[in-house]
Amino acid sequence: MIIYFRGCVVREKLKYISDATETILKRAGIDFTILTNETCCGSILMRTGFKDDAKEVMKDTLKKLEEFITKDDKILVSCAGCYNTLKNDYNELFGVNLDVIHTSELISQLISDGKLLVKKIPNKVTYHDPCHLGRHSSLYEEPREAIMEICTLVEMDRNRENSRCCGAGSGVRSAYPDTALLVAQRRIEDAEDTKAELIVTACSFCILNLQNALKHRMNELSDDTVDVNKSSINKVLDISELILMGLEDEKIGN
Amino acid sequence: MNRSFRTLRERRDKIIEDERTIQLQERVKNIRAYSIKNMDLLIEKVVKNFEKNGVEVILAEKSEDALDALYSIVKDESIIAKSKSNTAGEIGLSEFLEDKGVQVVETDLGDRIVQLDPDSNPSHPIGPASHLRMDDIVKIISNEFNIDIKPEPRAILDIIKQDVLLKLAKCNIGITGANSVAADDGSVITVHNEGNINLVSMLDIHIIIVGIDKLVETIEDAVSVVKLETIFASGKTVPAYMNVISSHSKTADIEKILLDGMYGPRRVVVILLDNGRKQAIKKGGECLLCIGCGSCIVTCPIYNEIGNEFGYKRYLGGRGVVLSSFIDGNQSCFDSGLFTCTLCGLCTNKCPVGIKTNNLIKNLRNDSVDLNIIIDEHKSIKDRIKKKGSPFKQ
Repeated sequence: MIIYFRGCVVREKLKYISDATETILKRAGIDFTILTNETCCGSILMRTGFKDDAKEVMKDTLKKLEEFITKDDKILVSCAGCYNTLKNDYNELFGVNLDVIHTSELISQLISDGKLLVKKIPNKVTYHDPCHLGRHSSLYEEPREAIMEICTLVEMDRNRENSRCCGAGSGVRSAYPDTALLVAQRRIEDAEDTKAELIVTACSFCILNLQNALKHRMNELSDDTVDVNKSSINKVLDISELILMGLEDEKIGN
Repeated sequence: MNRSFRTLRERRDKIIEDERTIQLQERVKNIRAYSIKNMDLLIEKVVKNFEKNGVEVILAEKSEDALDALYSIVKDESIIAKSKSNTAGEIGLSEFLEDKGVQVVETDLGDRIVQLDPDSNPSHPIGPASHLRMDDIVKIISNEFNIDIKPEPRAILDIIKQDVLLKLAKCNIGITGANSVAADDGSVITVHNEGNINLVSMLDIHIIIVGIDKLVETIEDAVSVVKLETIFASGKTVPAYMNVISSHSKTADIEKILLDGMYGPRRVVVILLDNGRKQAIKKGGECLLCIGCGSCIVTCPIYNEIGNEFGYKRYLGGRGVVLSSFIDGNQSCFDSGLFTCTLCGLCTNKCPVGIKTNNLIKNLRNDSVDLNIIIDEHKSIKDRIKKKGSPFKQ
């Protein structure tokens, strides 16, 4: 069975991502349960220097997970930070091998197994590799495979292991919001160079930061300053939202 | 700066995938790892071999020791010449000498421009003026020399060169850094493109200030290190100049009578600086594997936006933040931008010697929090997570 660990950002800020994910799971006929009493994965604490508090919180979360899951269950996550932490950091700290799967991996599998039928959509999208999923977990191809099943993917110059960070992670967004915004705006420019219309990514924290940058950018741009050589990125989407666009008769969330 | 860095990245990306570069990289990784493991032995050997070659050597434990040693040599001078040196920046050499009434002339073009600009600091190890645009530079030069100057690179070069050469003619002492030091040979390698080190190192006394982390075993090793540094710093396989200095200038052409200081210096003095490096080695020494190419900052998303306020003195970006903890302690490390890093790992990905700077920063954050040197907002987030399982306010 699939146990869905939504993560704090999706749970509290971007609920439409869990809605999209649930819809996809139902459409593919997947047996799943949402972990309703989920606690913090510990990522932010680990990466802002609170190692003892992180361990305490992580132990608690691990205990909850272990009470809930059986050995055949997979833990499904939407957030790249949760993915890296539950899969890699829990292994390093507690020696456990949690069977963690990211929504992008699962979706890619479901499509290639023929369990999820998607129709092509006309959009051109570019994919932003979240650091936690890419450089820290070497998961580069599955999100791309899923995207290419449904629409055209154009790569940014800096992609895969060279992907520019969105600027939010490891407490930078909370400590230095201006810097986090500058970096994200630069990433939006990277995306604009591809002439894509949408940025798709696989990390809820990247989405928060990139959306903020896009909002600022749209406010900045008046009609007479638009560079015709660049596209105008009009949305930052989670991969689940993109897939939802290809499911017939589904209304787009967001 | 983004434009300068993009050009550099594009040029470099091709050459670093070359098979010969990859082989060189493996060789240099081993050379650097050996150095860190055998530091005491290398120091012992280099002192012996420098002395054998007639090079004076001074071991300086702290910045003040280096400055005292240096001052005892330059105290009677009113002006001295200098080339680019991170180690000189680390000990605050120029500020110290200016305070003592000794004028310091930077000879590297980028450094000289930055020196003339009261508002800026170097932004890349080999391109210190990368953050300045042509217009900024024209303004700096016009203010300094009280002239109108065209926004044209050659015109800027000419005026700086003319001025530096005039000042060099008054200098008896030149101070440089070193890119690598060969312990078995008692030799120093310096790398430059402008030819300025040729001039500075030919003055009457040549002082070389260098951190002990630059030590390697042999000249061959040192050349490998500086070649790799050049590749990753500039996208070229060789710099214009690699100078190997193993002695002062001397001749015995008249009846085999040894005379010091023919065309070059009559004294070469090497100041070997510890300043926390041995402490760093005790903690693994990973950040001292660095060959100083600056590859990490060219790729760093944070550095690309905020520039050299992320880093410590001339040790720029995350690796500089790590080094600052050993040189200057945890508060300084915090102030250098310990929490400005997203731990994204691009620096690690692009480091030719495999320093995992993001991990080092993550570990130093633990130390910082233990000492209660923290970001207030992070503490609030921590409290919220512990209290109600969520980092968010509502």
